[in-house]
Formats: sequence, structure tokens, C-alpha cells
Amino acid sequence: MSQVITDKQGISHYMITINVNGDDYTRVVKANTILVNVLRDELDLTGTKKGCELGDCGSCTILLEGKPVDSCMVLAIEADGKKITTIEGIAESAELDKVQESFINHGAIQCGYCTPGMILSAKALLTRNPHPNEHEVREAIAGNLCRCTGYVNIVKAVLKAAEEPNDKEVKSNE
Amino acid sequence: MFLPDFDYYAPDSLAETCEALDRFGSKAKVLAGGTDIIAKMKGGLVAPEILISLKKLVDLQKIEYVAGKGVVIGAQATHNDLVNSPILNDKYLSVSEAAHHMASNQIRNIGTVGGNLCNAVPSADLPPILIALGATIKLVGTKGERTMLLEDLFTGPMKTVIAQNEILTEIVIPDQASTGSTYIKFGLRRSGALAVVGIGVAVTVNGETITEVKITIGAAAPTPMRAREAEDFLRGKVISDELIAEAGVIAAKESKPISDIRGSAEYRRDLVRVFTKRALHKAIKEGHV
Amino acid sequence: MSDNYAVIGKNVPRIDGREKATGAAKYTGDLKFPNMLFGKILSSPYAHAKILSIDTSEAEKLPGVKAVITHKDVPTLKYGISPARWDENIFCSDKVRFVGDKVAAVACVDEETCYKALKLIKVEYEVLPAVLDPLHAMDEGAPQIHDEYPRNINTEIHQNFGDVDKALAEAYYVRTDYFVGQRTYQSPIEPHSAVSIWKDNKLTIYSSTQSPHYFQHYIAREFGLKMGDVRIIKTYVGGGFGGKLEPTGLEFAGAVLSKLTGRPVRTFYDRHEMFAHNRGRHREYMEMTTGVDKEGKILGVYANFVMDGGAYTSLGIASAYYAGALLTLTYEFENYKWDLHRVYTNLPACGAQRGHGAPQPKYAFESHLDNIAKDLGIDPLEIRIRNARRPDTVTANDFIINSCELKACLEKAGEISGWREKKGNMTKGRGIGIATGSFVSGAGYPIYRTDLPQAAAMIKVHEDGSAATLYTGATDIGQGSDTILCQMAAEGMGYRYENMKIIAADTETTPHDFGAYASRQTLMSGTAVKRAGEEIKKQILDMASTMMNLPPDDLECREGIIFSISRPKAESITFEEAARRFFVLRGPLIGKGVYVVPRLGGTYKGAAVGTSPAYSYCAQIAEVQIDEETGEIDVREIWDVHDCGKVINPMLLHGQVHGALYMGMGESIWEQVVFNDEGKILNPNLGGYMLPTALDMPEIHSELVESYEPAGPWGAKEVGEGATNPTMGCFSNAIFDAMGVRVNSLPLTYEKVWRALKEKREGKA
Repeated sequence: MSQVITDKQGISHYMITINVNGDDYTRVVKANTILVNVLRDELDLTGTKKGCELGDCGSCTILLEGKPVDSCMVLAIEADGKKITTIEGIAESAELDKVQESFINHGAIQCGYCTPGMILSAKALLTRNPHPNEHEVREAIAGNLCRCTGYVNIVKAVLKAAEEPNDKEVKSNE
Repeated sequence: MFLPDFDYYAPDSLAETCEALDRFGSKAKVLAGGTDIIAKMKGGLVAPEILISLKKLVDLQKIEYVAGKGVVIGAQATHNDLVNSPILNDKYLSVSEAAHHMASNQIRNIGTVGGNLCNAVPSADLPPILIALGATIKLVGTKGERTMLLEDLFTGPMKTVIAQNEILTEIVIPDQASTGSTYIKFGLRRSGALAVVGIGVAVTVNGETITEVKITIGAAAPTPMRAREAEDFLRGKVISDELIAEAGVIAAKESKPISDIRGSAEYRRDLVRVFTKRALHKAIKEGHV
Repeated sequence: MSDNYAVIGKNVPRIDGREKATGAAKYTGDLKFPNMLFGKILSSPYAHAKILSIDTSEAEKLPGVKAVITHKDVPTLKYGISPARWDENIFCSDKVRFVGDKVAAVACVDEETCYKALKLIKVEYEVLPAVLDPLHAMDEGAPQIHDEYPRNINTEIHQNFGDVDKALAEAYYVRTDYFVGQRTYQSPIEPHSAVSIWKDNKLTIYSSTQSPHYFQHYIAREFGLKMGDVRIIKTYVGGGFGGKLEPTGLEFAGAVLSKLTGRPVRTFYDRHEMFAHNRGRHREYMEMTTGVDKEGKILGVYANFVMDGGAYTSLGIASAYYAGALLTLTYEFENYKWDLHRVYTNLPACGAQRGHGAPQPKYAFESHLDNIAKDLGIDPLEIRIRNARRPDTVTANDFIINSCELKACLEKAGEISGWREKKGNMTKGRGIGIATGSFVSGAGYPIYRTDLPQAAAMIKVHEDGSAATLYTGATDIGQGSDTILCQMAAEGMGYRYENMKIIAADTETTPHDFGAYASRQTLMSGTAVKRAGEEIKKQILDMASTMMNLPPDDLECREGIIFSISRPKAESITFEEAARRFFVLRGPLIGKGVYVVPRLGGTYKGAAVGTSPAYSYCAQIAEVQIDEETGEIDVREIWDVHDCGKVINPMLLHGQVHGALYMGMGESIWEQVVFNDEGKILNPNLGGYMLPTALDMPEIHSELVESYEPAGPWGAKEVGEGATNPTMGCFSNAIFDAMGVRVNSLPLTYEKVWRALKEKREGKA
């Protein structure tokens, strides 16, 4: 990453390269550009949501080098050179990932706004711990707030997904 | 929400970092994990002209055991690095557990222990247990380095002794004789909650006697504070339920809580009593948990 | 009636599940249009202040700012979702009435410029004394918030049925209790957002809305446009819970900004701005007096309420009526009197939040009833069974109850929770509590006076019958109405759910529907959809009769197969074949349905509010463990037994119970909007305003009893709000059982329990 230009107001713009869902994207950002906005506005990956922009609700959760983080709290420039997975990158092909299938089949989705972040937290858990118990599931999603489901069917869906055979691994490190 | 504009600089080495802090002076603030400073900037509480990122200082991410010294935790280690550290799980599970209490999984994956300590909120979860374990810290600047007890770092809410041109590089939990330690956090919900009161305790038990003890109260004083009177009371005494209960009463009297949106001073004071008691029992009976 | 349905009653997967699970679902804030601008609103930092001057010149000069507007640039017609109280302006002109009141707005090329531009608008205020305590809002000499409403009284209600004084005088036992609720906020995870496109005479707004119709109606009115020239479109909504039922400054200001700039403008609220905009639950001060006979049978009730309405009316009038009116639903008593004052304060306006004014009074009454039961030595489950409403009764305030399986709910809840074995036999610190609930299946009358039907639906079958599209104004905000309405359409037609498509909630393409509030859609929109489906079926069978040479009334259609009823094994044809033939010979195959609520309610003042074609019923039991030293409440397990009539989709239904119970639980223990002494919210974020996390939720058992509601489609009634109704009372009672202390104010925080225990120990209780 190197400084590209200084604009008329004296503000520096930086060129960064981030790898999102397996593809490299080179973009010019300011230091104050936040990662969630790059994903949503620059790359049109609107699956990642903004709910609070202060790291309290988890609806902006992405996997950064395989770890769930709140992308509203990460400067784009800090993510330079890193691997990012968003909800759009969970399924490798047109077929859904087993966590996505499980969410659909077990009533874990109501308004759907927390769903992308929730699925990513769940996915990261199952990659790290393929057979979690209920407490571990609740822990993994405790940073994802849901206002609709009371988490009942979400927890059920993750536990059921854990019972399913693993099809493919998510393209990221853990 | 938005962040004000600022300049950004990611030094390649610790020396370059200190040099930059020196050069930019009060215009600059350190960016570690960012979870505290970005929130403050979004809230309009701070507006530094320059952020100096520590992201390239990968050496500071390590957690290792150094013989003769103790467990050395690099300031850039994230809270989940502490949670998952085999060394801490083995030697001081209490520290891993304390780190586990912080915020949420997502925040723990980027929030660093150094950033958390330097942010110096009285309710932080790591200081009580680290202080109880006698942790020291190292501050490094262009003029050299200094070490001190962690408990001497804090001077008030969000205030530390760190000079503008210094950064915290490591925390050391020294080799010690303690037989047990624990941190108990009382929050209003089970995740994403600041401590209303947090108690960190380390004890050295010999037979039925407490030969050494440290009790640190979090979230009930302007800084994490040692409950020295309670410690003095306990030292050298034979363990009993009455003794432990009395220690709780003394610790509560020493504490200096305020009333805020999370709880009244009166409530906090009683919670200090209860959790000092419970933490002592736990550390005595279960080891470093 | 046969329960052998082909589509309804089945756990079909959500029709929008895949979109949401893949991140493909676009919510309003995800929409992008060419040349789009961003808009934000400048709000007041003071709770009550005169506006002396507004200088926008600096903001206008900032590069990237395309428009800056104040009250001078917008219609000054007062508006409000409650027609009886139009008390709000797009922008304040003379004074601001709460911290967060709307003063100006900007449209800029990007979000960042908006924030910078807002900072450059200079407003000169003269701070006025503010009314922050609702209990003193009506005092002589209190600052007046609205000139038209003396003593800051927004709504005053006095209702009186039977003879309460006589009933209390003759009662075996009379008790009075006083309770206080708290301000809570719906806090949907998706923030409010709108994209306004005003081109020539046509205004199109995409909005995160619960009711495109109400938005269309009020926006057209505000700008003097024909409704036909205003198009409101809902894409996906990330929860509403009552807070997105009325147009906000985002739509009004966004529309003007679009008109001025000639470009689409996306306006949005940040989380703290959502808290300030509010329209959440009122804080209610509730006094209850009840007289009972020796067996604990309720003879008469007197209730007195003061509600903190905030600075504007919003949906507050309906909430005010519901607060008192719905107390007659669960228990039978003929003598009922209640008085209520909803007052203005210089705080964010309160509206309607899931449960619509009823949950806090229910908390009060259920706690009160338990106190009475304790005083008389009667078991809480038993006293409720004795008083439980029966089906086919009329309440003291003239609400007609058809189906009502409350007794069955109570019995079942008692059974599955082990109430009778547990009560009085639990270990130290453990307690079990019970409460009942009930809610309307849609309000008997719409929000503004109109003779429009409640709901209309259209179905168009594809030319070859391989798909059918349901057109409905009903609004899926996450509860799943799109899914169950497609199930109902398929059932009505004799078709398959898998072939259903839906176009919903677009005022230009979909027929009228009042939208998602007061739990109306299953019953009201559902009936319209059922009728539309049946109209299709009638035409299909008519066509099939000519093709099969059988009389139409010998034919039935089920899951897309048309067969003879008398000889079901004989040759059949498919829906597709009949549909295609129909199109070729007769043109488009369309079905229409309409639902009109029968005339309901008594003749007294305010009788309309609380009426409904049907009411759901439920019983909730909670088991808690209290830490005696800290007051910490550990909710161990919750049982909810519901009577919601015929279940259209069990998975979605239980999802609603889980969610409503979750919200009730949040409000019971954690949620509270807190202000400083200048009327500023101290916790306008999701760290300080605590929603329960996955780790805080206990095991929840959601069960049902058999029930059939004649007024509902296939016997169905509501479920979306009923489960919020009993929860706070249920926890209050569980804590009472565990520790013998009553917490008289919400939320039931650990500290309040600790303090109550302390006072009990010190003999002060």
C-alpha cells in the first residue's frame, strides 16, 4: 500500500488491494474509509449490513483471514493485503452452503437483516469446531443481535448444520 | 456515521513507531485493534490528525513463556489470542477466561490487549486479573524503555502515565508461587456488557493458610484498584468462610464506586463484597481458573 | 370442518429464505440509483427551545452539497399518523420540542459530505424550560409544549362500564397496587431508510415501511398530490415492530430534496438518530384497584393511567386506548372503569410498539392479580382458571369474543411446565410465575376514518398455468406474511405453493391493504387472499367442467389436480391444462378478493378502539433462579401455550412466539431508554440499550391448543403480538414466587431485585 495522491483539500488517498471472496480488488481509499463501506458501496456487495456502526450488533460481520470481525470497526486501509469473506462468498457455487440451507429449513430467518452476519459467525464456528454444543453455538453468535427470532431457531439451525456432512471448506484460512 | 479525516502512517518497526510518535507529538494517536479509538472518533470524542498503525509490528503479537521471566504477552495480541493461547490455558487459565469476558467474539478478534490497557476504562476485564497476578508492563519510547507494575499504569478513568511518545509493548506475568487466581465479572447481560463490578484475585495457599493474596477491584473506582486492606487482613490467616466473608466486607468498604447508568454506587459496593468473597473461594479451591 | 388441507398447516420454507440467506435480498439502504444523492436531517440539541435563526449559507458553499432545506422550503401543513392529532411539521419553524426534533436537511454527493454539511448549518436557539417528568406535565404553570393542547394533555380517556363502586363495596377483598413501566424502543436491526425520486408530477419513494398505504396516504396529503401520483414501494424490511408504520422526516425531507435537485435521494438514520426518532413504547404509570369474591373471582376493576407521550402524538392515541381497553380480554368481569391521561413531554415521541400499549398494563394487572392471590391464599394458576374468559362471550366494553381457548392454554401450560408439582416446592431462590395474554387480530377500524376495505388481493394465473402471481398490499416485514399468503392463495385455488409468485407492497401494482400492524394480516389480508384464490378455483372448475364433461359442483381441485368428487379415481386433468384452456378461450385468469370488517363495537366514546374480528389467547409460565446476594435473574425456562386458531405455517408461527417472547423478555429485564436531566438520551446505541444476546435466552417451549376462529380464514387468527403481552407480568410473578419481593417498576433489573431483597431483610418492605 502506498500513498497515491493528495487531493485539493490536502487529504491523502491510498491504494489498497483486498482479496474478497477469492478475488483481488484494488481500490483507492482515504484513511477514514471504513471497510464495510468499501464492500457495500465500492464492490456492490450489499449482503453485509450496517445496523449500528459501532460494533455492537454484528450485522456487518465478515470473515477477516477467517475470523469473524465487525467490518464497521475496521479501516479499509488496515485490511490491505488481507483475505475477506462476505456472505456472497460463502457458497462456492449456485448450491447453498449447508449452514445457509439449515437456516432456511429450520426457520432461522425472519426479517433476514442479521442473517448474513449470523451465518458467517456460525460458519467460522463450524470451521473451527465442527461439533459444537449448544453453549458454544450461543457463544459464537452472542455478538450478532437478532430482534426477530429470539435465537431459538438460529441455534437449532447451527446445531443441525453441524450434523450434516461437510461439503466444501470456505476459501479462507483459520 | 463517519470518521473525520486524518493522515495514516504504518511504521515498519518499533523504532520507527516511537520516532513517529515523537515527531508528530500530540497530533498523533496510536491505532492498535481500533475498536476503542474508532468508536471514539465516530462519537466525536477524539479527532487525531494522524493515526499511527501498529499493524506491521507482528513481533508484538506473540504470547510466549520466557524462562526466568514469565509469560510474556505482546501488546498486539488480540483478546481471542489470549483466549486461545495454549500457554495461558496451561499456566493461567484465569487470564484466558478474563479475556473471554470482553465484548463479543467479533471485537475480541481485533481488539488488542495493549489497546485495551491503554484505553484505561475502569471497567476493563483484563486489568484486575493481571494486576492480581503481579503483571508488569514495558513502555518503549525514543529515549529508551521503562517497566512498571501494571497497576501503576492507570491514573484515572481513561488516563495513564504513558507519555505521548511511548507505546506499551508487552505485559509480563512473572513466575510466581500463587496457587490459584480467578476473575469474576458481573455484567448486566452475558455478552457485550461492561463490568458493573469485576474482581481479580490471586492467592498463595499453604495448607490451610493464605500466605499471599492480591485482590483487584475493577469498575468500582476511578482505576482498577488493589483492595490492600482486605489483602492485609487475609495475609497469614487460616482459611474459613467467616474470614473470606469478612475480606469481602473490607474490600467493599475500600472501594470507591460511582453511580451510573449501569448501577448505583451502593449496589456496586455490595457487589464488591459478594464477588471478592466468591473469587477468593474459587481461587483457593480451584487453582488458576 | 375437515382439517385435511393440502398447503396450509404445512411447514413450507419461506418464500424469501434463499434471498436472505445469500445476502441477495436488497433492503432500502442497499438500493442504488444512477445519479443518486444522500440526505440527512439536522436535529435539535435541545429538549425545548425557540428557533431564533437558521443560517445555511456555509453549508450551501461546501463542495458536494446539492441542496439545503429548512421549514421555508417545505409544506407547513401539520401531519401525524393519528388523524385526531396532526401536531407535527416536516421541520420545526418556531420551536423544537425534543432533543432530535427536525430542523433542516441536506442532500450531498456522498454520506461523508452530509455529516460535514450538517455541522455547518448554524441555528440560533433560545432555550426554554422543558417538561421532562410526565407526572408534572399537567401541573399549573408547566411549560406548554403545544399551544393547542392546554396542560399538555394529548389524550384524555374516561370509560365506565357497569358499577365499579358497587362491586368494590360488595367485594370480599379489595386491593390497590401501583406500577410504573419504562420507555423502550423497537430497535429493529435495520435502520430507517428511504429513497425518494420526485420527477415531474410523480413521487416514488422506496422505504423501510410497515405500510405503503399509510405512507402513500399521508405523503400525498402533505404535498397536495393525488394518491395515484405517489408510489410507495417496500423492498425488504429488517423489522419494524410498530416503529416503521408512519412516514418520518426521511420520506418528507427526502422527497423535497429530490424535487429540488432532480435526483434520487437516499435518506437514512444512524442508530442514535433512530433512538431519537423513537415512536416506541410509552412509559405508563398504572394504578390498579380490584375487588374479588372469596374465591378470587374478579368483581370489578378500576384502573388509572398516565402515559408519557413525548413531543408528538404518533400512534399514541391508539396505544392509549389499548392500554385500558384490552384489560377486559383475558378475565371476565362486568364492572370496569378506567381513566387515562396521555401527556406531552419534551422527549422523543412514543407510538406503538409490539403489543400496542397493552403489555405494561398487563404486567401491572398480572402482578396485581398475583398479589391478590397471595393475600387470599389461592394458587396463581387456579385464580386465573377461575377468571379465564370463555368463548362466545362479550367483554364489559363490548368486544365480541368468538374463539377463546384460554382455559385450555392455562391447563396445558400448567401441565407442560410441571406447575403443580413445582409451586411451593422449589429450591431456594427458584420461582415459577404465570401470566395470560391476549391480542387483537387486526384493529376493527383503520387508523384514519375511511370506508376503504381492510384488504384486497388479486391473483393472476400465468397463461400456461405453470405459475400464479399473488398481488397483495400486505407487508412482509420479517414475520413471513408473503409466505403464508402464498400458502393461502394456493390453498384457496387448489394449487401448489411451489408455483406461487408474489408481488407485494407496491402501491402502484398491488391492491390496497393497510399493512403490517395490530397483527392484522393473517386474518384480514389472508381472508382477501383466500377469496381471491376461491374465485380462481371457481373459474378453473368451471372451465374444467367443460373439458371433463362433468358438472362443476362434482369437481374439486387439490394441489393442482382437478378430479371428480364422486368418482375420484376416474380421469383427472391438471390445473395447468384448465388454466391454459381458460386463457385461450376467455382471456386472463384473474381472481379478486376483498375483506371488510363487520361493524364492531359499542356506542360509547372510543368504543371502536380495541375491537377486532378475533382475539388470540395465551398463557406463559417462566421459571427463574434468583441470586439472592446480587439480585441477578437467571431465566431458566419459559413455556408459552397459544390459542391462535388454525395454524397456517407452524414454523413461522412458533418463530413469532419466540420473537415476541424475546422482546417481552428484553423489556422485562434489560431494555430501557435513559435520559439525562436535559432530555438527551444517554444510551442511544446497542451497547447501552441492551437487547438480550443468544447467551441470555433460556430454553423456550412454544406449544398450541386446538382452536378454530370462525371469523378467520380457515379458522386462523393472530400470533405476532400476543406473546409480548404476558411476559413482563410473568417474570414479575416468577420473581415474586422465588423471593417474596415484588418489583413494581420495569425493567425488573438485578439491582431492583437486590434492593427489594435488601429492604425485605431490613424489614422495610
